[in-house]
Amino acid sequence: MPIALLSPALLMVGLLFVYPLLFSLAYAFRNEATGAWGLVNFEKAFELYSNDILYTVFILVLATVLTGLFAVAIGGYLTLGENRRTVAILRWLYRWPLFIPMVVAGQLMRTFLAKNGMLNNGLMSLGLIEPINAVSMLDWRGVVITFVWKQLPFAALLISGAMASMDRSMIESARNLGASRFHALVEIVIPQVKASIAVSLILSFVTMLSALSVPMMVIAGSPTMITVDMAWRVNSYSDYGVANALGFISCAMSGVVAWFYLRQSVREQSRIVAK
Amino acid sequence: MNAPTISLASRMPKWVGALVRGLLIVLLAVAIFGPLLNMLIWTVAEAWYFPNKLPLRWGFQFWGRVFRPEAGAMTALWTSVLIAMMTVVFSLLVSIPAGYALSRRTLPLRSVFLLVFLLPQAFPAIAVHMNIARIFYGIGLNGTIWGVMLVHAIQGLVFSVWIASASFAAVNQEQVEAARNLGASPWRAFMNVSLPLAAPGLMASAIFVFLISLDEFSGTFFVGVPDVRTLPLTMLNAALEGNYQIASITALLLLVPSIAFMLFVEKFLKADVLAKVGT
Amino acid sequence: MKKTYRMLTLSLGVLLSVASTGARSQVTLNVISGGSQNMVDYVTDYLGPLFEKQNPGVKVAVVGVGPDDAGSQKILEKLQAQKAQPQWDVDVIVPNQQKTGEMAQAGLLMKYRDSIATGKYAVSQSSKLALGVNVDGYVMPMFESQTAMAYNPDLVKSPPSSYDELRVWTAKNPKQFGYNGLKNGMSGVAFVVGWMYAYSGNAAALQQGPYDAATKAGWSKAYADLKAFNQGVTFTPGNAGTLDMLNRGEIAMGPVWVDMFYTWKADGRLSPNLKLKLLSPGMPGQPYYYAIPAKAKNAELAKKFIALATSPQVQADGIVKRFNWYPGIDPNAVKSSLDPKAWANLFTDISPADLAKNAKPFPIAPFFTELREGYEKQVGN
Repeated sequence: MPIALLSPALLMVGLLFVYPLLFSLAYAFRNEATGAWGLVNFEKAFELYSNDILYTVFILVLATVLTGLFAVAIGGYLTLGENRRTVAILRWLYRWPLFIPMVVAGQLMRTFLAKNGMLNNGLMSLGLIEPINAVSMLDWRGVVITFVWKQLPFAALLISGAMASMDRSMIESARNLGASRFHALVEIVIPQVKASIAVSLILSFVTMLSALSVPMMVIAGSPTMITVDMAWRVNSYSDYGVANALGFISCAMSGVVAWFYLRQSVREQSRIVAK
Repeated sequence: MNAPTISLASRMPKWVGALVRGLLIVLLAVAIFGPLLNMLIWTVAEAWYFPNKLPLRWGFQFWGRVFRPEAGAMTALWTSVLIAMMTVVFSLLVSIPAGYALSRRTLPLRSVFLLVFLLPQAFPAIAVHMNIARIFYGIGLNGTIWGVMLVHAIQGLVFSVWIASASFAAVNQEQVEAARNLGASPWRAFMNVSLPLAAPGLMASAIFVFLISLDEFSGTFFVGVPDVRTLPLTMLNAALEGNYQIASITALLLLVPSIAFMLFVEKFLKADVLAKVGT
Repeated sequence: MKKTYRMLTLSLGVLLSVASTGARSQVTLNVISGGSQNMVDYVTDYLGPLFEKQNPGVKVAVVGVGPDDAGSQKILEKLQAQKAQPQWDVDVIVPNQQKTGEMAQAGLLMKYRDSIATGKYAVSQSSKLALGVNVDGYVMPMFESQTAMAYNPDLVKSPPSSYDELRVWTAKNPKQFGYNGLKNGMSGVAFVVGWMYAYSGNAAALQQGPYDAATKAGWSKAYADLKAFNQGVTFTPGNAGTLDMLNRGEIAMGPVWVDMFYTWKADGRLSPNLKLKLLSPGMPGQPYYYAIPAKAKNAELAKKFIALATSPQVQADGIVKRFNWYPGIDPNAVKSSLDPKAWANLFTDISPADLAKNAKPFPIAPFFTELREGYEKQVGN
């Protein structure tokens, strides 16, 4: 029965994505020059782009952690905040970047975060920094800022939704017993919405991982992220082999991240069963 | 603050809390609206270059360019909205049963299935689109609105399936069992208890799917062109090459259906579904 | 809950009825254009309407896929994906040089040039060879695009005129020169190619062939110098990123595509007093081509369209006058269709003599690949 419910979705992904993906992945293990199968493309990918792979991991982990922290803070305030006006303002405020396409977000940040961009110009006009101290953030910082800016509303929407549908009686009693809001958030709210936090962060992680336009438009020079390298291999050398090897690596990254969550949920399940 | 608390916050005078709160909100507002303000200025900047910190000449010249009849922006916008709505309906139809099935942790191979749905997002699409297009050409889906909808739905599927699964998993099983004990069939219990309880999550996923579809342009090129043209397809290449005015105006145009859709969903939630939650 | 279901069914019904309408009666000529937005606008606003007026019942529909290899690669993949189909849905394509060569080699293009009247105007070397790949007969050049150094005359009083002078200038003015590295767009690639023409010691072989696998061994000195030079430059995010930084005064000089430079000026994103300079011993340029896919549905119409697009009158009015681009066809044929002032406008910053001496093609394909990979390994790391 459950498989019957799953089958339309599985069929769709299987036929329209996994099947064409297999064609692409086959390239990754193929030596174009000799026609033999092997890991030659992976060797080349690591030889040329190992720095970029590490750089990508660093950017993604940082952006995901920051997204998680801010999203939990926003969700927490929306759930536990006592000043109704602030809650209303925050609720209205945080969602806007959700509606901006990734490629436009990249473009906005490129003109916003540059050395003479709008941010630095604004700070200089307010006298907060001197022109000589203005720095360009068109590197990993710019990408992390863009990603967090764009993904925060997504994660916050999911997390605050989960928090809102929680049973509030436990929070109330803890607060009545004198727990601060911070303690209520950490000890009562977060454990109950752990799954939503994990899901929203994994989805944010993979969205950022596969975004091409943001690193392309924001990072100046190298190192850069592996999606840019993939595009470069395909566009400049028609080298689908190394590009797909990089795609495989990027897939493996999300696989690892998702696996942690899935294993965790399996473990919880067995604990429940054991009880 | 009616209960005695020992937290630091409550010992401070009230205005300190208000000040901190106000500052944080202002900071957040600047962080969110700074880049957006940048976008708004670009939509009406006709000349903006060094050393001017603001545009030299303001005007609607580029709006005229976007809306000139030859470019067909309004038709493309309508097509985009239509495809986005179809994508949402289709995704929900497919992912509600799938999410329901996956919400049972005892399902064999559950992790594997969840990972499969993650694939379309996890593998950068650049190297896959050609192969997808080849299959679509083979089965005659290329150049149809249905083909484009499917490509968008695949991209959005991880959101709709994962979120649906999480939403159904969060449904209190005691309520479902109570309904069953009162004699409801599994179908009725699902329709009257599980689905309404999971609805807020499902609606949130609908918003994400709508936005993914509305912003997508690479898959649309491979599957839709030349017969199906969406607004992002015709305009967002401008962003990649630095045509800020055109890209900003397009983003502003796309804001309208996005926000309308979200308000629609929220209204719909409040009126009908939220009332059911907790009953 | 009932209400919601009713609303859902209702909206679904409306959607389906809309989705199934929209039949069209006339013939549509489908054009896919690489290159920048202004090339798409050129077809939308000028060439398309002109062709529609001459051919009633025909509608010209154009889609842009963006500049550089990335855009033209999309055209290639679109054709590749429908290779097995009896008829293809694209009638005219406008790809860049490298991808045109690859498409010709993959058998994706139609040989049509000799069957159109304007075929005789295709006289340039680039209308026969694309990075060393034979495309003779498959293409008509739309226009010649060139890279050059853009600079701000307020900040750079006497701009360097060669790569050697640029190195001296950059040493004196650190971080004032910017380019977009290798991976973010062709203007950076062009700068690197120009560097290799200047310092690799075998510029002529790179451009004309023959290919020799041993050549690249002699490039390490040029790369090492480039790596040292990179310490004193600002890296920019992309072709547009270079123009952007010039626009905001973050750099004073950088390599750009001439056609993009003029568009940015016209759109108010660059100060009108910025100028161009072509460095010696040369910087590369390339044409964008008109080509017809091998199994295009409306091939005859496509030929007619390209014949119009490459007629001296349209090249004069459209390419030169409207956009200030270098014509793709025989310049002598174009010149006679123009008033001398419009013609002279083309050479405001860069003289015809400079162009003749310092406008170079990109290297032939195998060298081009090695040159870029060499940079990745020896400079980028």
